[in-house]
Amino acid sequence: MTARKGFIRRRPFSSVGILILLFLLAVIWVWRVQLQAFPTIISAYTAKEYCSCRYVMNNPVDYCQSYVKQWLPSTLTENLNDKRITATGMARESTAQWQGPRQGCRLLPAQP
Amino acid sequence: MRRLLFIFLLFASPAFADTWPDDQWSAHPLTSSAALKELEAYAFPPRDEQTHQGIRTDALLIIRNGEVIYERYAGVTSAQTPHLTWSISKSILATVLGVALGEARFKLDDPVARFYAPFNTHPAVKIQDLLHWASGLDWQEDYEYAPLNSSVVAMLYTRGRDDMARFTAEHKVANAPGTSYRYSSGDSTVLAAALKGMVGDAAYPDYPWTALFDPLGIKSAVWETDATGTFVGSSYAYMTARDLARIGLLMQRGGRWQDRQLLPKAWVGFNLTPFASRTPTNEAPGGQWWLNKAADGKPGPWPDAPPDTFAGLGHWGQALYVIPSANLVIVRYADDRDGSYDHNQLLKRALKAVAGEGAQ
Repeated sequence: MTARKGFIRRRPFSSVGILILLFLLAVIWVWRVQLQAFPTIISAYTAKEYCSCRYVMNNPVDYCQSYVKQWLPSTLTENLNDKRITATGMARESTAQWQGPRQGCRLLPAQP
Repeated sequence: MRRLLFIFLLFASPAFADTWPDDQWSAHPLTSSAALKELEAYAFPPRDEQTHQGIRTDALLIIRNGEVIYERYAGVTSAQTPHLTWSISKSILATVLGVALGEARFKLDDPVARFYAPFNTHPAVKIQDLLHWASGLDWQEDYEYAPLNSSVVAMLYTRGRDDMARFTAEHKVANAPGTSYRYSSGDSTVLAAALKGMVGDAAYPDYPWTALFDPLGIKSAVWETDATGTFVGSSYAYMTARDLARIGLLMQRGGRWQDRQLLPKAWVGFNLTPFASRTPTNEAPGGQWWLNKAADGKPGPWPDAPPDTFAGLGHWGQALYVIPSANLVIVRYADDRDGSYDHNQLLKRALKAVAGEGAQ
């Protein structure tokens, strides 16, 4: 006990820094599942809603690009042959594809 | 003889025969009036395509007595656009379930687990609890302020997207089932999964069409699914404004479509009965519909509309309003990206425009 007291007294700023770091690690651990999935949101949202905007609602390209635009940068690739949309954002990639006249669009399962 | 003639005229008179749409709606447009101009000024201000700010109505369709009296589209949306309904999908799914109830495929107090096995971990949750958004699951619907923790964003786009109902079933319990309203797209999605258990895998992919859309003459409907084939009952139904109005007319007329009682009257009564929640809420939830009267007898959220008004409502300003006492169905599609649109303001102006016809 006295040894730690001595450390805190000798290194007050480092001690606070270590405490903050431990706290952050704990927060990251608690939220690890959410944090791992979170960055996919931008590309998944963009691919899915752009696909539906184009092939379900039948809206024009420039309208749909503006419709899915987010405050974070993303890219869109449209493959007209198989109505497949690939989007990237936050270093993740997602693909949505038109399934049929009643089924509309759906995100394809993530590749392992 | 005179009395017979009177009775004959009574039944022959169009005032006593309901008007229904066939392939098309019949139209009887409102004449221009100051009140109508006020409605248009509210719903269709100059549209900002750059910042996406303000009220951005894509479609406004008003049906009175089964006839189109007002219809206008804006932006790229037209009468042929199957527009995304977002959470109006929940009320559409409920209407499909109403047909299933009429076919005795389930009862309101059946446990969800009877039709959807992953709910064996929540054996006390009943179908009626899901319909009231009162499963008691620890669901986080908010996404504007808590995107990291949002259950609905995770369900639609990340962790839940391949099997949305199972993702919902894996949530912890926060309240006893059936006691506390907590708006949940997860609850609605589980209803869509339970429907599969009710009607069977073979009939399921076409069931919304065979049960509801075909009898009503709805031809534009699209309903997206997750990777397991379960309809995204919370969010992803699309149809034209005119087709959505058919569902509104069915509900306005107590579940009857022409001479067929498509939805049991008791079902419509359940939809339109306010849910008495132990947790306080400013909203007035019924059974997958939004009401204008609260369970404790307090007035509902739209003071300028009659208390029998009810609605299916969705993200970005989508709305299907039904006012049986005024014989009105109003469809509004939109792309509102901020909170400036107000249901009560629209309803107030629409009621005035309709009432003001010829009164100038």
